This record gives sequence, C-alpha cells and structure tokens, in this order.
Amino acid sequence: MLPVSATTPESAALETEVLLVQRLRDRDEGAMTIFYDKYSAALYGVILRIVKKEEIAEDVLQEAMVKIWHSFPSYDAEKGRLFTWVMNVCRNLAIDKIRSRQYRVGSRTQPIEESAALRQAAEPSFRPEHIGLQEMTNQLNPEQRQIVDLLYFGGFTQSEVAEELNLPLGTVKTRARAAIKVLSKLIR
Amino acid sequence: MNIQEYIESGILEEYALGVLNEVERAEVERIAREHPEVHRELQQVISGLDAYAEAHAVTPPADMRERVLQGWQQAIRNTAEQEKLIQTADVPASAPLMTASASPTTPISGSDGAVVRQLSAPQEAPSRLKWLIAASVALLLLSGLGNYLLYSRLQETEANLEVAQTAQSRYAATQQAALNERDQQLAVLRSADFRPVELKGTPKAPEALARVYYNAKTNAVYVDVRNLPAPPAGKQYQLWALDNGKPVDAGMLASATAAGDSIQQMKDIASAQAFAMTVEDAGGVPSPTMSTLTVIGNL
Repeated sequence: MLPVSATTPESAALETEVLLVQRLRDRDEGAMTIFYDKYSAALYGVILRIVKKEEIAEDVLQEAMVKIWHSFPSYDAEKGRLFTWVMNVCRNLAIDKIRSRQYRVGSRTQPIEESAALRQAAEPSFRPEHIGLQEMTNQLNPEQRQIVDLLYFGGFTQSEVAEELNLPLGTVKTRARAAIKVLSKLIR
Repeated sequence: MNIQEYIESGILEEYALGVLNEVERAEVERIAREHPEVHRELQQVISGLDAYAEAHAVTPPADMRERVLQGWQQAIRNTAEQEKLIQTADVPASAPLMTASASPTTPISGSDGAVVRQLSAPQEAPSRLKWLIAASVALLLLSGLGNYLLYSRLQETEANLEVAQTAQSRYAATQQAALNERDQQLAVLRSADFRPVELKGTPKAPEALARVYYNAKTNAVYVDVRNLPAPPAGKQYQLWALDNGKPVDAGMLASATAAGDSIQQMKDIASAQAFAMTVEDAGGVPSPTMSTLTVIGNL
C-alpha cells in the first residue's frame, strides 16, 4: 500500500515513519521496539537535559512510551510528524516531573549548564541530517539561547520567561522568534 | 486579520512549545489551514524546535533498552488486564470470554537477541472470574479506605508538625533573648570595673544575703539576690545607697529579682560607701524605714 520508490534519505525516513505510525495504529507491539531504536536517543537526550538525572530520565522515557502507546489514537499525522508529537509527550512528562514537589527539593537551584546532558557527547551518527549541538547553539547568541532553553527545557511560557528574566514580554517574543528562526534556517 | 501581526504575536512559537490550551491550539490550526503563510511559518517553527531537540540527542546506555521495553510491556499488560476485567464484568457469564482482546502474541525481539516474553493471559472459568472480580472490587474498596485513612493521618501529622515547628521557633527566639540577657549579665559580673558588695542579713533576718555590683565609673548598679525572705503582700524590697551616711533611693527590686531568679540593673548611683535594703510599700518611699532594714554591706 506504500510506494517503495524512495531514494533520498529524507523520503526513506518519512517512509519508515509512515510505516511505524501504521503499525502503532494497528496496536502492533513489535513496533515499539522499532520506535525505541529510532527515537530513544533524541527523546532520552531531551528528557535527560530536563530532569538531569539518568535514572529519572529512564523512568520518564518508559512512562512516556506507555503514554504514547495508550494515547496513540489521538495522534493525528495530518497535524504533524510523529517525532514532534512524541517529543512533546516526553517533554511534558519530564517538565511535570521537575515541577512535582518532591523533585523540587534540592534540584531546582542546579544551573542548567551543569546538567549531565551537556557533559555527554551527542551521538554523531544519529541521523544523516543531524546537526551537532555545538554547531547549532553557536548560531544563537547567549540571550537567544537562554530564552529557547527556558521555553523548551524549562516548560516556561513566554510571560513566565519575561518575569524570570525581568524583560518586557515583547522582547522575549522577539528573541524567541529570532532564535527559532535561526534554528529552522539551519536545517534547510 | 493582519497575517503578519498574527505571525509576529508569538502564538505560533507557543503552539510549537505546547503551552497553549486545547481551544487556543484548535484556533491556531484553523488559521494555519486558512492561511498558507501561517501554515508555512508554523512548520518552520516546529521543525526548528525539532532540530534543536535532535541536537541534544544522547544515546542511552545499552542495557537500558531491554529494561525500558520490558517495563513498558509490563505496564501496558497491567492496564490491558484491568480493562479486560472491567469488560468481562459487563458481559453475561455465558458469553465467550476474551473476545474483546485481540492483542497479538508475538514476542518482541530486539536486534541484540534479547527477547521480552509476553505474560500468558489467564484462562479462568466464568465462576472463578466472578469471584476474582468480587475480590478485586473488595480489595479496591479496602485499599481506597486504607488510602483515605492514611491520607487523613498524613494531614493530621502535617498539621501537628507545623504546630510543633512554630512552637519550636518561638521557643528558640525566647531562649535566644534570654541568652543575650545572660551574656550581658555575665559581662557585668566579669568586668573589672564592677565592684561586688556583699549585703549581709541584719539580726532581723540573719539568713538573708544579697550582692550589689557597683561601677564607680559608669555609676551602674546591679543587684543579685542570694536569699531574701518573701516580702509581705503589698510590700517590696527597696535598695538604698548610703553616701556619707545619707540614704539615696537606688530603686525597687522586681519580685523575680527578690526571689533570686535573675540579676537586675538598678538606678545609677553617683557615689556610695554602702548599700542596704528595706521592706517598703510597693512603689517605694522617699526615705527608708529603718525598722525593716534587712541586709546591709560596705564597699
């Protein structure tokens, strides 16, 4: 039912994703192994960056996979990539985790720069179109990076970032837009 | 609607970051469907953030793969079992079992040869199943009751803890104040500028004993009672400084001071050769009643 004429890596990747979505929709449990092999590095990297502790990152990833499996019927491929959807599930769970009361004690003051995630090198061969963290963040100025990190890894809204950094909301929006623009240009 | 303004409002970024509520999300999706520019912009924002996420990829430890996949399978099995129990509870006993479950039984095998085996589904007879359901429900109710009891105990404990903490900090503050006062008193006793004067009991009260500390430089006077008979109701001890035989009022002793509980700073005295105490009407009198002289001592 799918065309097998893909030649470029992008279309090959897309085809794997379409196949995977189909299998998940069919409640094929074996698909979750493929899911893990395909996405665990990206998901684990982001979760680790948020929760900062390996054992908790592992728990969150497993919890996220359970959630993805159960709420898969609500995933709408028309609205976006599977990657975007699962990444948001993971991010939200990880952010909920760090916002939970027990986690806050002691961990909140740890600066984001000291996280384990930054000390570990990203897998270079993760994807053919993969762009290194260093290369990417070098394109952002420190203010932009700070805002993107608070929004993406801290679960802050733009108003919360404005309050946290004591900046006008307009400035936060402008910087966030500029930063995301830089990021999206890099992948084209 | 001004499309450019909408794009620059930051709402697309918020959509991509997942901070919008359901109504707001639906609205963004509707506008993106209607306006290709918005759609294009939204896609760029999303792919930018996706790329940022991917740039943070960290390959998890190899042994995590099996743990996570196994844990995941265990978790969805547990939920499936629960759902099955709930479903069968609605089905008449004569209906065939397990029709609702169509889950495949192929084991999940990983590339490294690790095999996560599926737990076999229980094949219970309908009557046993009924008992099982009844038992489960009873267990659930019990567990709910247990939770409720534990929760109220927890609440009570937390409230008690709060009370205890408040009491503790109040106590600490009082103790700190008392300690400061003692330190001050100790400084007086240790100071070389203070001369101690023993006031001994008169024949009227031979056991009575008190001490006055007098600083001739600063004129400060402290009194420290060792033993004084309790004054009659409405009476107080009054301290006198004797300067060239002339009595000068040095102040009234507080009841705690007279009982020997603490030392007390009295009125400043410019010059004195002796100190004495008499029992006077509360509030004091201008000149001492000699018949009530209780203790006296020379510098």
